[in-house]
Amino acid sequence: MKIFYSYISVIIALLVFSSCSSDGRRNKNELIYWSSNNTEEIEFARYITSEWNKLNPESKVKFQPVPEGQSSEEIILAAVVGKTTPDIYSNMWQGDVEIYAEAGVLVALDTLDGFMAFIVERCDSLTIEEVTSKDGHIYQIPWKINPIMMIYNKKIIEELGLSHPPRTYSEYFETAEKFKKDNDGDGYVDQWFGYSEVLVTWWQRLFDFYPLYLAASAGAPLIKNGKAAFYNEYALKVFNFLRELYKQNYFPKERLSARQDVFLSGVIATRFTGPWEISHAEKFKPKDFEYAFHPMPVPDEHSGPTYTYCDPKNIVIFNTCPDPNKAWQFLKYFLSEENDLKFIETTNQLPRRKKIDENPKFFDYFKKNPGVLEFAHQANYIKGTDAAPVLKEVFDLISQEYEASVIYGVKSPEDALNDAAKAVDLLFLK
Amino acid sequence: MNTKRIVPYLLVSPYIIHFAVFVAFPVLFSIFLTFHDWNIIAPMGFTGFSNYVRLFQDKVFFKSLLNTLTFLAIHIPLQIIVALVIAETLNQKIKLRGFFRAAFFMPVIVSGVVVTILWQQLYGFDTGLFNRILIQLGLGKIGWLTDPSIAMPSIALMATWKNVGLYIVLFLVGLQTVPQHYYEAADLEGANHFQKFIKITIPMINPTIFMVVVLSTIGGFSLFIEPYIMTGGGPLNSTISAMLYIYKQGFFYYHMGYAATLGFFFALLILAVVAIQKRYVERDK
Repeated sequence: MKIFYSYISVIIALLVFSSCSSDGRRNKNELIYWSSNNTEEIEFARYITSEWNKLNPESKVKFQPVPEGQSSEEIILAAVVGKTTPDIYSNMWQGDVEIYAEAGVLVALDTLDGFMAFIVERCDSLTIEEVTSKDGHIYQIPWKINPIMMIYNKKIIEELGLSHPPRTYSEYFETAEKFKKDNDGDGYVDQWFGYSEVLVTWWQRLFDFYPLYLAASAGAPLIKNGKAAFYNEYALKVFNFLRELYKQNYFPKERLSARQDVFLSGVIATRFTGPWEISHAEKFKPKDFEYAFHPMPVPDEHSGPTYTYCDPKNIVIFNTCPDPNKAWQFLKYFLSEENDLKFIETTNQLPRRKKIDENPKFFDYFKKNPGVLEFAHQANYIKGTDAAPVLKEVFDLISQEYEASVIYGVKSPEDALNDAAKAVDLLFLK
Repeated sequence: MNTKRIVPYLLVSPYIIHFAVFVAFPVLFSIFLTFHDWNIIAPMGFTGFSNYVRLFQDKVFFKSLLNTLTFLAIHIPLQIIVALVIAETLNQKIKLRGFFRAAFFMPVIVSGVVVTILWQQLYGFDTGLFNRILIQLGLGKIGWLTDPSIAMPSIALMATWKNVGLYIVLFLVGLQTVPQHYYEAADLEGANHFQKFIKITIPMINPTIFMVVVLSTIGGFSLFIEPYIMTGGGPLNSTISAMLYIYKQGFFYYHMGYAATLGFFFALLILAVVAIQKRYVERDK
C-alpha cells in the first residue's frame, strides 16, 4: 500500500509542478516575430532579423515561421485565444484585421511615435484610407501584395489573329468563341478560353468576381457605412459577363485543378492569377511556351485605369507585445527601401509602396524581372479589402449567389445580387 | 479503514477524469454555448434562445438535413444489399476466397481523403473514367459532381465503395453463426438457394442487419470528408451535409454559439432516429 501511495504522490507532484511552470518562451528583452512559412519568406525573415540583431544587440528580435497548421489564419486565431501571440506578425490578410482590431488584440499603430509620417511616406492616401479601421485607428502596416491579372498564352493569341489579348468583355467573348473546341470529337467542348475555380468557397471569389468588380467599377467598395454597396451596375455587368462565359462554354463548370496544369498544357488560354504564377510557369512550362500578363477584362464602355484586387498581407503588432515602441523601431528598419528591395529579390513578391515601378531603387530588379514589372505597373491601381469584421461571410453570401446565377444560371444576376445585398445588410444588423 | 474506501475511487479516477474532461465538460460547455454568441476572439455575449430561433429559420441548415437524409436513403439500402450479396458469395467455397475478402476490405483502411481524391478523378466530366466508358458505349456524359441532382447519389456511391468492406466482414460473421442444419432441412424440403437465403439466412442474421443499419445511420449522419473535398457542398448546396454546415458555421465564420446549437439539435436528431430504429427492430423480434 505504501508503494501505491508513493506512486500517487509522485504523479500528483509532477502534475502540480508541470502546471506551475512559468512562461519560458522569451528573453525579457527579446521580441518575437512570426513570418509566413514559405521558403522564400523564411529566408528573408532570417536575413532581416540577423541584420537587425547585429545592429541592435540590446533589443534583439527572435524570428520563427508561423507554426504549421491547416492555415496560418487558424494558427493565429488559436494563438490569440491562447494568448500566445507573437509580438509581430507579418502575414496578416487585410480582411482579417478588423475582427482582431474590434476584439482589442492589436496595437493601434497610429498611436506610436512617427507612424503617421512613415505611412504617408510609404503609401498613397487611398491605401491609408483602406487600412484605417472603423474606429479611426490604424492597426496594420501595408507590406506586400500580389495583384490579380490575366495571364495569357501569347502563341494562342497570335494564332487567333489578334495583336493583343482581349481587353473588353466583347473582345473576350469574341476570342473565346474562336478558341473553344471539341478536340476529341465526342460532342463536348474540351478546350476553353479560360478557367476559374467553381467551388463555392468564399475566398475563390477573390480571384474572379472581386477583381473583375474592382476593374469594372474603378475600385468601388463592396461594403460602405455598414451596408452592402455592391448591388450596382458594375456587379451586374460582372455577373452577366461571367454567366455568359459559363453559358457559352467558354469556361468549364468542371473542376480542373487536379489535372496537369491546364494553362501550361494549352487546354485553356487565359487565367486570372497573381505574380506567383511566374515562378511556377518558369519551372514547368514546355519548351517555346510564351506567356504574358494583362489587366483584368472590363466592360466595353469602360474608360480610365483598370483596378484589381491585390491580395494584401500586412504587418501587425499584438497587444501581448511588452514594448510596442521597440517593435515599431524594428518594423521601420524592416520596411526600409533597402529591405523592400531585398524582399522582392528574395521572394518575387511586391512590397506595397507607392509608385514602386518608378522608384529608381527597384529599376535593376525590374529590368531583370520584366514579368514582375507588369505587376508593379498594375500596383498603381489596386485595392485590398473593405474594413468589416464579417468580410468572410460577405464573400460567402456573394459566392452562394454567384454559384446559382453565374455558374448554374438558375437565378437572374439582378435577383442574385439583390438577395446577396439584403443578406449582407442583415449581417450588419445583428 | 478510510484508506480502503479511497483506493477504489483512486483506481477509477483516470476514467472519471478522462470522462469529465473529454466528454462531460465539452457536452455541458456546448449546451452553455447554445445560449451565447461567441467568435472565440471577443468575449461571449448572452443571447437567450436566439440561436434556436435562428436555427428554425435557417433554410440552408434544413437543406443540409435533407441532403443528409437523401444520402442515408441511398447509402444504407445500397450498402446493405451490396455487402450482403458479396458476404453471401464470399461465404461459399469459391476460389481465392481469402484474397477477395482482403481486397473488399482494403478501401476501409485507406484514408478517406485519398479515396475521395481518387473518386474525384473517376467522376471527372471531361477526363474521368466513368464518362470515358459512357462515351465508348455511345452514351452521353454525366455531370457526376456538377449536376445538382446527381452529385449526392455520386457521393453515396463512393461512400458505399469505401465502407462496404467493413459490413461484409460483419455479415460474414453473422452468416457463419447460422446453424447448418436449417439449410440441410430446407434441402430435404427441396428449397432452392434463393428461398433458403430469404427464409433462413435473412431472419437468422436480423441482429447483424440491425447493427449494420445503426452503424451506417450514425456513420452516414457524420458525412463530412466526401463533400468537403469533392464539392465543397455544391453545386447549389446539393451536397452540403449537416456536419459540413456545422463545421462551416464554427470554423469558417467562428459562430461558435450557433454551431453548438446546430450540433446539439443534430445530436438529438440522431438519437431520435436510432431510438426509432431500435424500437422498430425490437418490435419485429
